[in-house]
Amino acid sequence: MNSGIDLQGSFIQTLTDLGFPQDIAYALWLPLPIVLMVIGAVVGVLVTVWLERKVSAAAQQRIGPEYAGPLGVLQPVADGLKLVFKEDIVTNQADPWLFTLGPALVVIPVILAYIIVPFGQNLLVTDLNVGIFLWIALSSIAPIGLLMSGYSSNNKYSLLGGLRAAAQSISYEIPLALAVLAIVMMSNSLSTIDIVQQQSGYGILGWNIWRQPVGFVIFWIAALAECERLPFDLPEAEEELVAGYQTEYAGMRFALFYVGAYINLVLSALVVSVLYLGGWEFPIPLDRLAGWLNVSETTPWLQVLTASLGIIMTVLKAYLLVFLAVLLRWTVPRVRIDQLLDLGWKFLLPVSLVNLLLTAALKLAFPFAFGG
Amino acid sequence: MFKFLQQVGDYAKGTVEAAKYIGQGLSVTFDHMQRRPITVQYPYEKLIPSERYRGRIHYEFDKCIACEVCVRVCPINLPIVDWEMVKVGKKKTKKLNHYSIDFGVCIFCGNCVEYCPTNCLSMTEEYELATYDRHELNYDNVALGRLPYSVNQDPMVTPLREFAYLPKGVVEPHDLPKGSQRAGQRPEDIAAKAPVKTKKSAKAES
Amino acid sequence: MNLAENVQFIAFAALAVSLIGTALGVVLLDQIVYSAFLLAGVFMSVSGLYVLLNADFVAAAQILVYVGAVNVLILFAIMLVNKQEPFSTLRQQWLRRGVTAVVCVGIFALLSTMVLATPWAIDSTINTTSTIVAIGKHFFSDYLLPFELASVLLLMAMVGAIILARRDFIPDAQQNAAAAEAALMLPERPRDLVEGES
Repeated sequence: MNSGIDLQGSFIQTLTDLGFPQDIAYALWLPLPIVLMVIGAVVGVLVTVWLERKVSAAAQQRIGPEYAGPLGVLQPVADGLKLVFKEDIVTNQADPWLFTLGPALVVIPVILAYIIVPFGQNLLVTDLNVGIFLWIALSSIAPIGLLMSGYSSNNKYSLLGGLRAAAQSISYEIPLALAVLAIVMMSNSLSTIDIVQQQSGYGILGWNIWRQPVGFVIFWIAALAECERLPFDLPEAEEELVAGYQTEYAGMRFALFYVGAYINLVLSALVVSVLYLGGWEFPIPLDRLAGWLNVSETTPWLQVLTASLGIIMTVLKAYLLVFLAVLLRWTVPRVRIDQLLDLGWKFLLPVSLVNLLLTAALKLAFPFAFGG
Repeated sequence: MFKFLQQVGDYAKGTVEAAKYIGQGLSVTFDHMQRRPITVQYPYEKLIPSERYRGRIHYEFDKCIACEVCVRVCPINLPIVDWEMVKVGKKKTKKLNHYSIDFGVCIFCGNCVEYCPTNCLSMTEEYELATYDRHELNYDNVALGRLPYSVNQDPMVTPLREFAYLPKGVVEPHDLPKGSQRAGQRPEDIAAKAPVKTKKSAKAES
Repeated sequence: MNLAENVQFIAFAALAVSLIGTALGVVLLDQIVYSAFLLAGVFMSVSGLYVLLNADFVAAAQILVYVGAVNVLILFAIMLVNKQEPFSTLRQQWLRRGVTAVVCVGIFALLSTMVLATPWAIDSTINTTSTIVAIGKHFFSDYLLPFELASVLLLMAMVGAIILARRDFIPDAQQNAAAAEAALMLPERPRDLVEGES
């Protein structure tokens, strides 16, 4: 495998050449990927909001946002600005500390989890050993924030919504983790980079979705439930609970929930594309193509092309999944709370356990195809 | 043991069935995405109300004979007819002072228009009755006498025909060619084609 | 001291302060809900300390298990039985408090002497091998028995939970169930009768 582009090395090299000491150059580099990631996450949210509104409009034979910018692309920005300028209300009987802390606790872990999403061989914030496990761990903090905001709102709908959200994410964490475990078993590593590398080499045929179709479905259902997307949006079911734990929130605090939900959706889609759809891999193996055309792997233009194609492919796959989620939103009716827990505990959990056992057996039987 | 396997098989079958139905649903949703939006972009585009449209009621004060039929046929006796008996010379006549209908309460059923003996009540095509105060909806005889502004004449508005008034095979109300007529015969065509009914033919029929 | 050591020191100080602060809050605050939320802060600070010790897997597992599962369950329990009950003042409260303080100070003294007396093997080399592999190897070699015992314990807990949830298999509950069901029946014809007619 080629090392690809070493952005960190070249950045520090450039700064040292300009006369900065090594330490300061490194310190200047440190926040850069993080800031870029946060900006990327927020822009991703804006795109997702626009996409959701446009796709929903198309599915319902409407036009959708149209006047703010060409094709309404500035509509999410307008929405965000509106929320920024709205009055920040803390209800009279609410607990002000928990009320403020709740939304932050929902958003921060989700943004933190972005550090493990790779967009290319070297294009991620950090290649952690625990990789995908960190994402699972961080997403389990969110229920605390939901419970906190549900409790502190001092509203029965909020409390019920918070309790439902917590119950839902606890029940769906387990099938999610088991589906990830099957993938991890095949690639012998929790690192997202290794998981993508293990799928590379055969183009679209090498992707994990062919080896783990059941796992893919389980993961996607569980991810939708974790994001509280429509078939599983019981915590904020507007017909029963007004808006669940968000009922009492307004202005920026509400915006945090809103942004958190969409960042989580994009993040889940990115993780699915990393785990099952080959991450930054092009459907046709690029290095083989380069080999046929007699282009060296270390050619600069090829490396730039691979890197940009990698980013485009990852984002494209993720947004394809977001599109699927929006389509599902207008197709599948909401489940009841008992059906939701039934689906999680009595269907997804056994099926994912069987999937895990099957993967282990297949790995022992065909070490070539299922990772040695 | 065998029963357990049967149960598992049934469950798997049900799962596959459910997945199939979800797939069908998704394909339906996807199919809808390619369909033309039916949006009428309201303040800029408006539908032309059909000719039987029951909008705000128009009232001609001078034609009214204060018979109060409209009040009697109204489901809630809504129109208010304020008249008094006056002597004009030797004759006692009704003198109409005020007439009003509260459109905040009116259900636009059209009974008053139907039964008015002098046709002083009629339906208009006006439907934009929004006000800031519900009492502003209580129209007196002056307000009732105003004619609505037709959608066709408003330079700010693109008038759009309703689906039933589009030519045959056309579903897009935008940019219709000029003079295009709706599907089917127009009332005057039907009247022109109909055989002239003489007294003789009517007798023969009966 | 270079940049990395500085960052580590600052991180350690912040984590230690937040750990001690939240832990004190758990014990001293009156409202049980605050205590439960602060407990999450304690767990997260501990997981941060694990990260500083290069134990990334343990840190993530700490968050997943303690914050994501245990603490959420505690909160769940608190919120489902949220009975606001003021503490009734006990007689001789000072005695209880005094005894508690003595016990706590004793344990603290014991632990501090232990910490000071133990010759800690300080290893400043950075371990580059995967911690997960190391943990896995230990689980299936030297610590096999505790590992298996823990899994058996968890299995027992799970079976117990299932039995508690499916009360209808307990015989004396079943007898009452029939009576309760009869009382709750709606005045409707049973389904099979309706189906038989059509």
